[in-house]
Amino acid sequence: MVGEMKAVVRILKDTFSFNDLPISERIAFAAFLVFVFFFPWIVHTAYARAVMIRFLLFAMYGLGWNLIGGYGGQVDLGQAKNVGFGAFATVLMISWWGIPFWITVPVGIIVAVAESFAIAYPMFRLRGHYFAIATLCVALVWQQLFLFWDWTGGARGVELSIRSTPNFTYMQFGAMGYHYFIFALFMAEFLFMNWFRKSKMSYELQAVRDNEDAAASLGINVTWTKVKTYLITAAMGAVGGSFYAVYHLYVDPRCVMQLDLSILIAMTAMVGGAGSVWGPIIGAAMLIPLDMYLGALLGGMGFYGIDFIIYALIIMVIAAREPRGIWGIIERARRRGHVLRG
Amino acid sequence: MVLAAQIMASGILMGTIFGLIALGLTLIFGVMNIINFAHGEFLMIGMYSVFLISTFLSIEPLLSLPLVAVVGFLLGIISYYLLIRYLLRGPMIAQLFGTFGLMLFLRYLVMFILGPSPRVIQEGVLIGKTVSFSWFTFDLSQLVAAGSSILLFVLVSWMIERTKLGRALRATSIDAEAARYMGIDTEKMNALAWGIGGATAGIAGGLLVNFYYATPTIGMLFVMIAFATVALGGFGSVKGAFAAGLVIGLIMMVAGHYLSQIKLAFVYLAYFLVVVLRPRGLFGW
Repeated sequence: MVGEMKAVVRILKDTFSFNDLPISERIAFAAFLVFVFFFPWIVHTAYARAVMIRFLLFAMYGLGWNLIGGYGGQVDLGQAKNVGFGAFATVLMISWWGIPFWITVPVGIIVAVAESFAIAYPMFRLRGHYFAIATLCVALVWQQLFLFWDWTGGARGVELSIRSTPNFTYMQFGAMGYHYFIFALFMAEFLFMNWFRKSKMSYELQAVRDNEDAAASLGINVTWTKVKTYLITAAMGAVGGSFYAVYHLYVDPRCVMQLDLSILIAMTAMVGGAGSVWGPIIGAAMLIPLDMYLGALLGGMGFYGIDFIIYALIIMVIAAREPRGIWGIIERARRRGHVLRG
Repeated sequence: MVLAAQIMASGILMGTIFGLIALGLTLIFGVMNIINFAHGEFLMIGMYSVFLISTFLSIEPLLSLPLVAVVGFLLGIISYYLLIRYLLRGPMIAQLFGTFGLMLFLRYLVMFILGPSPRVIQEGVLIGKTVSFSWFTFDLSQLVAAGSSILLFVLVSWMIERTKLGRALRATSIDAEAARYMGIDTEKMNALAWGIGGATAGIAGGLLVNFYYATPTIGMLFVMIAFATVALGGFGSVKGAFAAGLVIGLIMMVAGHYLSQIKLAFVYLAYFLVVVLRPRGLFGW
């Protein structure tokens, strides 16, 4: 009994403690949290609030992807399918049977995890490029099927009826409500990641990423470690998808299961710095406002597509010059600072 | 029976073009172990080049192919020297995103200049003509495309197998470091692989545009098919790419006849099954 109590206290401590991080990072993160918390009071335009919500959603997607892609080093380009499973579980169960949102979320998670488990073992026989393209293919097969089937709404998609707000059964509110809703989900996922990165599994996963043979010789079950991580990532994608469904009140396979979404999710983590705690948050903070403001600004001036061109240039420069992303640049600058001082 | 034979025959015709598209991709992969997402955009630019030349200069689409080959070759070489060279030093994930960035860049550049609407070639000796062999009827443009693909395949295979340049290319793909010790400029070989990749994809686009509409986003479709083809044939295998192209063409035509909306799902599924069951592909080593 005492032993279990201690284990629970240990887990709680790991979840909420940031003591192992440098003080500057802790202060920056606290400032970030305060900023996000008061954001809807400072900024009143609907567009800016929508950008903020999208940023938090993609930071959340990125945190999930960072598990398999960053800590695990497995380039998964199929996360959109898990987002799709979550979104469709929510949207279909609500529109067919009026089941409360909170019950549809675990169903979405179960579907995503079950599907990922079914394909995980054959998938992890592959490495490198083969794995990356296989994940991409599986996601595209699901998209084709969801577009083809009638019960998923096909290409028309599924709509949710608008209810009197605020409604906690079906989670429909104004912009303010959605802001705190996604903020809470984001924080839950972030705290989970905070626990995860100190856990035994995290160290096993990084050992597998850095050298599979060495990890196996130390008694780590390489495949099972990857599969576990893959399932957690799938679950996180499904939660994001469920939020997407009640936020947009409309889901179709072209928006939630598309290839571009898979890539954008992976890119937020990569541009920010894959395999670091802050990477996905930094990446989303850079890519999402850039995407939304540049698109709106240039689209309004009649330059359709220029935003993607600029976007593509940034991606190419980062991939070519600093593959460890923006966090890699920060760390390098910091190391240089240490050298100068000491 | 006749219908089945006709479907299979058009599958094979389509398959030769898939093989040609996969040729450059598999060559690039074989030489420097990198996956090129922008390969479909090379094809798309080939399509648009022929479209522009035939529409604005009134030059016969078939005659513009050599010019398209040059455009594709230069595109490949420029991509290599400006981007890929730097990506090769980084980890795999950076390579994937780097070529993905190149893909977005080319796609939206074309969309910005020429607009998003689909374009079709109106004039040309091949347009709208059909040829009949006893029971079979084919589009002349498809027939010519298949013939040209086979010709080009033979040409590239000959170059790789028989010439000194091809030998240097193969040496680089087997062991780049050893090739460097032998005095081979591997940097140039890498660029050459990208040039050949760009040229063959460009020509494939130039052939395709005679019977397929061009849009700025068409590349994604063909690059996904090419990934499946390359995996099926074995990453890095040139002969495998050709055989796999035929198989993929058959799968697509047969699946397309019965379940046309999800025919691509069968192609992706084929990739998945092949890499899981036989990771080396049909002809890989």
